[in-house]
Amino acid sequence: MNSFDILKIVLVLIGAPILGCLIAGIDRKLTARLQGRVGPPLLQPYYDVVKLFKKDNMIVHPAQNFYVVIYVVFVILSLLMLVFGMDMLMIIFVYTISSVALIVGGMSTGSPYARVGSSREIMAILSYEPILILYALAIYLLTGTFKLSALSTLSSPLLAYIPLIFISMLFVMNIKFKKSPFDYSTSHHAHQELVKGMLTEYSGPGLGGIEIGHFYEYVFLLGLMFMFWSSNIIIGLLLAVIAFLFVIIMDNITARVYWQWMLKVSWSILLIISIANILIVYYFYFKPA
Amino acid sequence: MLDTISLLIIVPVIFSILFVALPKSLYKILAWAFFILGVALSVKLVMDGTGVVPVPESNFAILENIVFVLEVLVILFILAVSLKYKNWPTLGLGIISAAIFGYTYANVHGAEGAAFNIDQFSQIMILIVNIVGTAIILFATGYMDHYEEHRHLNRQKIFYFTMSFFLAAMNGLVMADTLGWLFLFWELTTLCSFVLISYNMDEEGINNGFRALALNLVGGIAFSIGIVLLATNYEISTLSGIGAYAGTNATAMAAVALPVALLCIGGFAKSAQMPFQSWLLGAMVAPTPVSALLHSSTMVNAGAFLVVKLVPAFAGTNLGTAIALFGAFTFVMTSALALSQRNAKRVLAYSTIANLGLIIASAGIGTPLAVAAAIMLILFHAISKALLFLCTGEIEHTIGSRDIEDMSGLINKAPLLTMLISLGMISMLLPPFGVLLTKWVTMEVASSNPIVSIFMILGSALTTVYYVKWLGTILSTTMDKNAVHHQKPETYFPLSFLGLCIVATSILVFSIYDAFIKPQVATMLNIAPSVTGAGGQFSSEIGTFAYALIFIVIALAILIYYATKNMFAPRMSSYYLCGENSLEKDRLMFRNGLCAYDKSSASNIYLQNVFGESKLTTLGYVISILLIVAALAGGVL
Repeated sequence: MNSFDILKIVLVLIGAPILGCLIAGIDRKLTARLQGRVGPPLLQPYYDVVKLFKKDNMIVHPAQNFYVVIYVVFVILSLLMLVFGMDMLMIIFVYTISSVALIVGGMSTGSPYARVGSSREIMAILSYEPILILYALAIYLLTGTFKLSALSTLSSPLLAYIPLIFISMLFVMNIKFKKSPFDYSTSHHAHQELVKGMLTEYSGPGLGGIEIGHFYEYVFLLGLMFMFWSSNIIIGLLLAVIAFLFVIIMDNITARVYWQWMLKVSWSILLIISIANILIVYYFYFKPA
Repeated sequence: MLDTISLLIIVPVIFSILFVALPKSLYKILAWAFFILGVALSVKLVMDGTGVVPVPESNFAILENIVFVLEVLVILFILAVSLKYKNWPTLGLGIISAAIFGYTYANVHGAEGAAFNIDQFSQIMILIVNIVGTAIILFATGYMDHYEEHRHLNRQKIFYFTMSFFLAAMNGLVMADTLGWLFLFWELTTLCSFVLISYNMDEEGINNGFRALALNLVGGIAFSIGIVLLATNYEISTLSGIGAYAGTNATAMAAVALPVALLCIGGFAKSAQMPFQSWLLGAMVAPTPVSALLHSSTMVNAGAFLVVKLVPAFAGTNLGTAIALFGAFTFVMTSALALSQRNAKRVLAYSTIANLGLIIASAGIGTPLAVAAAIMLILFHAISKALLFLCTGEIEHTIGSRDIEDMSGLINKAPLLTMLISLGMISMLLPPFGVLLTKWVTMEVASSNPIVSIFMILGSALTTVYYVKWLGTILSTTMDKNAVHHQKPETYFPLSFLGLCIVATSILVFSIYDAFIKPQVATMLNIAPSVTGAGGQFSSEIGTFAYALIFIVIALAILIYYATKNMFAPRMSSYYLCGENSLEKDRLMFRNGLCAYDKSSASNIYLQNVFGESKLTTLGYVISILLIVAALAGGVL
């Protein structure tokens, strides 16, 4: 590990939450405008986190904040692994640790609202995880390795080979950003639910930690979209912006549906188009070693 | 080395006799002694090194006669019990087995000598059987009294006799190279399984025991036809001989494909793969130590063990592809079925079948890395699953139920037990633990076959779901602490020991790979997988699994948690129940719309109407039978 790598790590550790915070701020601002409101200042998510850390540490279960630490640490690790172009399949597994930590953290409180939210989030895993791994599989079939760093050897950007997986990934973004219509586990909108699902019993520093984790997670998720055109930074960023705008617009034009509907959509339409895309890649581009 | 081999078979037999001869009060001492001896003997075998050990000619004739007598006894026993309980299908299968045995004895020229083949794979199996196995027997000494008390039984002598005798048979099975002897040990384990499943002697137990016996006899018949074909057509009488005959020669592989496919079907039945899965689910009526020993960590592995040993005979052929598809299909199907189950033991049973399917799938893929993954998964899965089963048994004694929904709040009632079972579950589904590492290797090696990898991807997502659901439930707090919990050393020592084994094997994964797996794959396929382990990373040509990094980050997270814990003084509060809490009764009670008091509760999602047994089992039977027929057809053509 040379000094350049260390610089990169520091940059990610400091830069990602700032970027994530801005993303969250833009989200709130845009959503407010779409709803005909002025909206909070751009830095409102930052003010929220600062305030949360000044609040009392109210808990219902002694270990509940331990899961928050696991969540944040492993989100950061998956982001770092993405930045360093490591094994995509491994990144997905590491990212699963963080998702599981948040679910178990919600359930550990024992609150019925939190348990309902967590059960729904488990169903969300069932909906999006196969698509994420199919994305990794596509990278292997195209480059002969699961390492993201090998994407630079491709002659065309990833999007040209796997457009259908890109479409599925847009919906995965929607699920993972926990935005309407897929915000059953915990919602950002007060009008969607009275009680904050999976995160019901989190408040003060615990909730602040989760918010920081979300900032990193936003950057990580949009980073996955960036990878579709990683050879050109501008177009890559544009894809990330498109994905982000898609999520916000979907959030504002749809209402929450049943979680069963999410499962049906993902296991029928999204999974089938992704598998079709994999088969196309397999027959036209895959060269067995 | 021959001494160690004979001791590994004789010592468990001696212990089985001791368990019958000595009174119950000495069982704990016996079990400790057995555990220590088991560890010592298996380590001794590993120290002795590898190689084919022929049985001295002077003893061969006597031993061959013993084998003959035992085989006759096995068949007579099967015929006798099936007559006694009027179980006609089993009787029919027993008669067929007897006929094949008679035919073999009369027409097939017997082997000139017998041999044991100790390779690294056998060493791993011996370590599992004798360390995990004796730890399970030790656990049983703290478990069975309570179990029998509830059911008004007094059959512990039979229990310990069969368990110890089973270890002898299992040791023989993984070491024997002569197919005839291997088959005897194979049938002996089937019999032990039958005796232990019907242990409760109630109608359910006996019916399920017969189902296990019948389905394993089907497998045994396929196995013995395979042996007859190999002996008459190719004069092969040893397991290693099949690989040596096939070599890497495509024509020779095609020639032995049919008998090899038949042996594999024997393995599928033993490993409870899809059309045979019902016997393993039925076997869950047996006491938990039986499920842990026979039906998750050792006996069912024998099937996967056999299939992996046969890899040189089908690697890269159509038969191999059919086996890979079959295993991957079982994996996804049983993972879906596990999702719909509330009964913890059934979840574990389905999860066992699924993981064995994954092992068989990687064996079918047949590349060096895939075979390495298969052997490693057998090892890691055995340890994790033994721990999960034993913990489930202990939970049942603590809360009186094996329903996952009843386990909420377990962390308050039995914290240590909950931590141990959580470790077991996490090791099944998250990095950096061994099972996930091998699952990762399997998924990477499967990726050149899109259908197999799609099955694996779906199965892996389903696996995450059913374990996380359970994990969240046991870690949730419901605030009642009314359960009485006894911590006995003979139950908690094996549990903690298995937990430590999980962590240790996961940290030492590359050393284990280097010492056992790499040379084994190199001898089987003549090429070693190209894997390097620099910097705590398990890297192949297609990817890198940075397990050391994850361990470090976990340690870091724990450090951060404890460092920041005191910065925010915690203040306990009550659940948020929309302001309608009724604190004086129970923290989960609330006042409902009629001003009466209700207890709030939430349960998990099981998707019974999508993944339920009634929805999926028939589909599973149809497709798996089609795949087996395809494998056989691939063998003939």
